[in-house]
Amino acid sequence: MVALLKPRYREESSFEDTLAAHPDFPRLVALKIDVQRRGVFYTPRAEAAVDPAIHQLRSPYIFGSRDGVIKPLPESLLLRDGSTILVDPTPLEQAPYTVDYRDGRFVLLDEGRELEEVDLWPKPAYYDKQTSTGLPMSHIISARPQRLNVFQSSFCYFWAENEGCRFCDIVTHTKQQRDELGVPNRLRPQDVKETLAEAIKEPGRFTNLCLTAGSVIKGKEIFDLEVDFYIELLQAIGENFTTKKFPSQLIGSAFNERQLRRLYEETGLSSYTSDLEVLNEELFNWICPGKAKHIGYKGWRDRLIGAVDIFGRGNVGTGIVGGVEMAQPLGFKSEKDALESTLSEAEYLAERGVTTVYIAWVPRPGSAFAGQKAPSLDYFIRLARGLQDLRIKYGLSVDFDDYRRCGNHPDTDLARI
Amino acid sequence: MSIELSQDVIELLNDRDTIKVLASVDGNGVPHAVFKQSLHLGEDGRIHSLELIESSTTGRNLVGSIWFERKVTILLRGTDKRSVQIKGRVLKYHITGPLYLHHYNAVRERLGDVDLAGVWVIEPEQVIEQSFKDRRATEDAAHPSFIHLDRIAAH
Ligand code: SF4
Repeated sequence: MVALLKPRYREESSFEDTLAAHPDFPRLVALKIDVQRRGVFYTPRAEAAVDPAIHQLRSPYIFGSRDGVIKPLPESLLLRDGSTILVDPTPLEQAPYTVDYRDGRFVLLDEGRELEEVDLWPKPAYYDKQTSTGLPMSHIISARPQRLNVFQSSFCYFWAENEGCRFCDIVTHTKQQRDELGVPNRLRPQDVKETLAEAIKEPGRFTNLCLTAGSVIKGKEIFDLEVDFYIELLQAIGENFTTKKFPSQLIGSAFNERQLRRLYEETGLSSYTSDLEVLNEELFNWICPGKAKHIGYKGWRDRLIGAVDIFGRGNVGTGIVGGVEMAQPLGFKSEKDALESTLSEAEYLAERGVTTVYIAWVPRPGSAFAGQKAPSLDYFIRLARGLQDLRIKYGLSVDFDDYRRCGNHPDTDLARI
Repeated sequence: MSIELSQDVIELLNDRDTIKVLASVDGNGVPHAVFKQSLHLGEDGRIHSLELIESSTTGRNLVGSIWFERKVTILLRGTDKRSVQIKGRVLKYHITGPLYLHHYNAVRERLGDVDLAGVWVIEPEQVIEQSFKDRRATEDAAHPSFIHLDRIAAH
């Protein structure tokens, strides 16, 4: 089987050699990064051992996967330190890790070598239920081991203007989900409220709620309509809680001060994230043309900083697609330069109370960067360490986006110790 | 390295009246010991411990233990004053799933409105009898010259 694999990841230093250069970096977090980077392939034996009655199968997700198909495979994996690996099935020819089922347990392998025992995500109880309008609740809110995801609308106006972010496959994936699964384009607040009420009946299962969607540029002022959608949804969600504020994250566009105040004051939202995607103005202009045209890099950044006055330090973040700063032809040519530039800009934000988190860039088949290669594991380790060191230096917590409440950021996993 | 605990140690571990201490260490080598009455033998033959406060020093140290293979120590002292030390390796942290759910419900039933961050699984690697009599016999045998001479003086 090995001989059939493309040598794409085989040209790099081995996992063990890379890790040996970072003795203070946890092996499990490095493994998580590498699995995210390379993807996983489920062997037929693993597929046969998946039990849809107890394991969570892949549910609607805002972005697509690198095999470009929607199949009833496990949603994802848990490592034995309780951390999550969000990773999608990947064709064998891309040299992914393998998940097999041996001696009554799921194991993660590389080139046939057993690395770790892994667990599949348990299926939440509400996944078998339907809303009063007859929609499967799993299509309304999707689950992670400890968090609920509300993808309010999987449409982005930047795409409509042909100015979507170049790494993003949201619209390709939305069409596929709508056509193949019947997932609604936009969620009705009542369906969300009902689903959430059912989900949080399950003891000990969920610790927060994340709302996100594509950008909606419409309104009297840009994003007014997007804010209106979120407020309506958050108010419906809030009816399920006894407290005014509830642990929640909104990953939205860069809202102005008035919009942010409305969100904070009129809803129970407790944190705010708006993704700069890449921490470099020139690359932002190239990679995120819609965001660049309507708000601009500095404008987006300033709005994030302004949000700290409203939501407070430690409750405002920005997400980056780690590694996309090396996308070609315009990205950095050396990992050293890319890292220096990214961390220095992250420091500018951290000084002003905004925390930066990353997800590992996976060039997806439905995106403009399909076929490109992400940076090395060494790069992602340094990026994770660098971002967490900045949080320590500037006293920023990242409780709202950590290993449990999100699970998709290797850098915030490091905040556990 | 993993060992099976003997029946008498299991009984000591599972006895509610046993005083149970869990000692861990942080990245700078600073030790930290706490009473952990939730320590018990799990169905998998390993020692389980409930983490009620996720951000606690012990919680953080045990994450470090999983990540960097730092050992932990458990000290048990029974009502009969028998004292046992168990050294072990932190193997797993359940934050979801059936085992977690079982303890989440049980702990809330017992203690009221508390949270459960997770269930630690510790693999025992060594058991040391800690009672003075046992310890003295072991060490005397290993180091017969560690003795003050007045104790063996002929007059
Ligand atoms: S803003 Fe960019 S990343 Fe977000 S959904 Fe739109 S195109 Fe995709």
